[in-house]
Amino acid sequence: MLPKLYINGFSCLRGDATSEDLAPFVEVRKLRRAEQISKNVLLCAFRALEQAKLKDGPRADLAISLAMGAGALESTLKFMDSIIEDGDELSSPTAFASSVHNSTALFLSMFLGIHGPCVVTGQLDASFAGALLTAQQFLAKGMCQQVLVTLAEDVNPLLTEQLQKDSSLFDPFIYQPQSPAKRVAGALICSAKPTPTTQFVLDSVQLLCTDDISSQSQPQLPVRSCAHSVLLLDKYLQQNAPFTMHEQFAGTILNIEGKPYVLA
Amino acid sequence: MSLQKVSIAGMGCVCACGNTSEEAFEGTLNAKTRFELPNTRVDSVYTSKYPVFLVDPALYQHKPADQTFSQFFFIRAALQAFEQAKISPRQLNPKRVGVIVGASVHPSFHCFKIYRRWKTDKLTEADYTGLKNYLASPLAQWVSNYFGFQGPFQTIATACASGTDAIGLAKNWIETGLCDAVLCGGTDEITESPYVGFIRLLVSTPQRCRPFCKTRSGINIGEGAAALLLTNVQSAQQLKLSCQGYVLGYGNCCDGFHPTAPDPKGTGLRKALSFALQDAGKNAEDMAFINAHGTASQANDSAEAIAFNSVLPHVPVWGSKGVTGHTLGAAGAIEAVLTLQALNKRILPATIGFTTPDEQLQLIPTRQATAISKRVAMSDSLAFGGCNAAIVLGACDAA
Repeated sequence: MLPKLYINGFSCLRGDATSEDLAPFVEVRKLRRAEQISKNVLLCAFRALEQAKLKDGPRADLAISLAMGAGALESTLKFMDSIIEDGDELSSPTAFASSVHNSTALFLSMFLGIHGPCVVTGQLDASFAGALLTAQQFLAKGMCQQVLVTLAEDVNPLLTEQLQKDSSLFDPFIYQPQSPAKRVAGALICSAKPTPTTQFVLDSVQLLCTDDISSQSQPQLPVRSCAHSVLLLDKYLQQNAPFTMHEQFAGTILNIEGKPYVLA
Repeated sequence: MSLQKVSIAGMGCVCACGNTSEEAFEGTLNAKTRFELPNTRVDSVYTSKYPVFLVDPALYQHKPADQTFSQFFFIRAALQAFEQAKISPRQLNPKRVGVIVGASVHPSFHCFKIYRRWKTDKLTEADYTGLKNYLASPLAQWVSNYFGFQGPFQTIATACASGTDAIGLAKNWIETGLCDAVLCGGTDEITESPYVGFIRLLVSTPQRCRPFCKTRSGINIGEGAAALLLTNVQSAQQLKLSCQGYVLGYGNCCDGFHPTAPDPKGTGLRKALSFALQDAGKNAEDMAFINAHGTASQANDSAEAIAFNSVLPHVPVWGSKGVTGHTLGAAGAIEAVLTLQALNKRILPATIGFTTPDEQLQLIPTRQATAISKRVAMSDSLAFGGCNAAIVLGACDAA
């Protein structure tokens, strides 16, 4: 049996973190070179850690499970731009280094002082579900006491622009292209046993493959994006009632059953 | 929790030194590989200066146009794994089979040529098809669909540690009862971004890589894939599957130190190695050898030497990137297959490219092929961002 996931802190952000948002947690000047999605997910992580009473506490037994639908897109595109505009010989090595998925994981690890297991999942809309599976495995195997599950999702300007021109181009992968695309980030602190700060418990997380790629239930996002799972989970958690979250996106089924946790 | 033992029913490999796992190991023993200059795969000003390790073009001349090289290589390796296991994917219960694939290029936005046209010209019909293919094919999900599996799937994107993480997590999926079988491994391809990026970071070398050598001057990137079909022992017995070995332990720990360099003290790697040993219930004396990440970069080989001398002192160290190149997200999986071949054939190959000991490392890797008798070995991977992963593998007769 896989463990239930007890949620001890949760934060979700639609849009971008500002310097004012981050100032209570970190010296903002240290973040000047960071990608915006890294700042976004760092803010969510700080808020989730604060809820879990881990803001200033020991984090030696924490692991990181990070979901990124398309990787560190801002740096990926910066690196491509530098090749296109300046040529191979003047392309930006810094942008290349930052384009690797792990660069966001490193950013979290360095700023939060987490030096445990760390895995990044990158599979478009199913990334967050994959990150939850990893958290469950880390906890089941006793690889850590708690897991910081995070999501950092960027907006792809190429796909967004093309969608605005002709939304039918990307059937069945489009979701209400008329909505303005925004970056999304999320963080939750999970454990296999309840803690004094536990707010919710996820009884089961199930991610399955299906050959049906026609289904689409994701509103308000430009293209296949792992942000939707976090936004939907956020909605259920805000309702503070037992829930069954079912998502069927292109080729994927995600089921999560959860409820508020009340200390016995 | 009662954990299931994890056996390897079959494995396959495609890389510069062979189109199968048997060929790749022979290539490793004989230093036979496709080390190519110029690099004909990408369009770059560097192609005539910086060589790469390429898969035999005869293998992919019939690659379907809608598949990336990463997908094509992995499917080829996976089909070998099923053949060796003596089972067809259809004979497995699709709901109980998971897929975990590690990669670095494919999980990123890898449509460079389309992006270039968008920035400089106009998108074509073929570009729209390319973008649709990108959206339709998250790697592990695509593999799962290809074989008709309906279980969980995960694409690991921890850069150069992805392949090792994929095998380690697949082991955990079976141990914890999430799946009866998992198709796992890693795959990667040479594209403009990593090729130019590593050169611009001054990590690549125009020469052939020399792991752990005093004169080492950097990495050569390569391409390929490896796939392993893992099952719990009960399923393996019921289905009369072959046994190529065991995945016994997995450890993972991040440095949190630097974007592109490992912690010079090897702190995270030491922990990952220790966790893997602990998970396997083994100690350093049980290890026949370590298959090192051994990229031949100054920083990588130095951090590994410190970690090995600390956690696994006196265990022989073998680096195989002198014949495979650094295959990025596929590296850990290809090296796992080579490690299992070495264990099962009881031969530890030489570290191709190594010539001169580096006294600062206090580590001399294998210099010639040697007979081995111990039945367990370690394989590790390090990645950008300070992600470290290690697995302990057992020979087919290590039960």
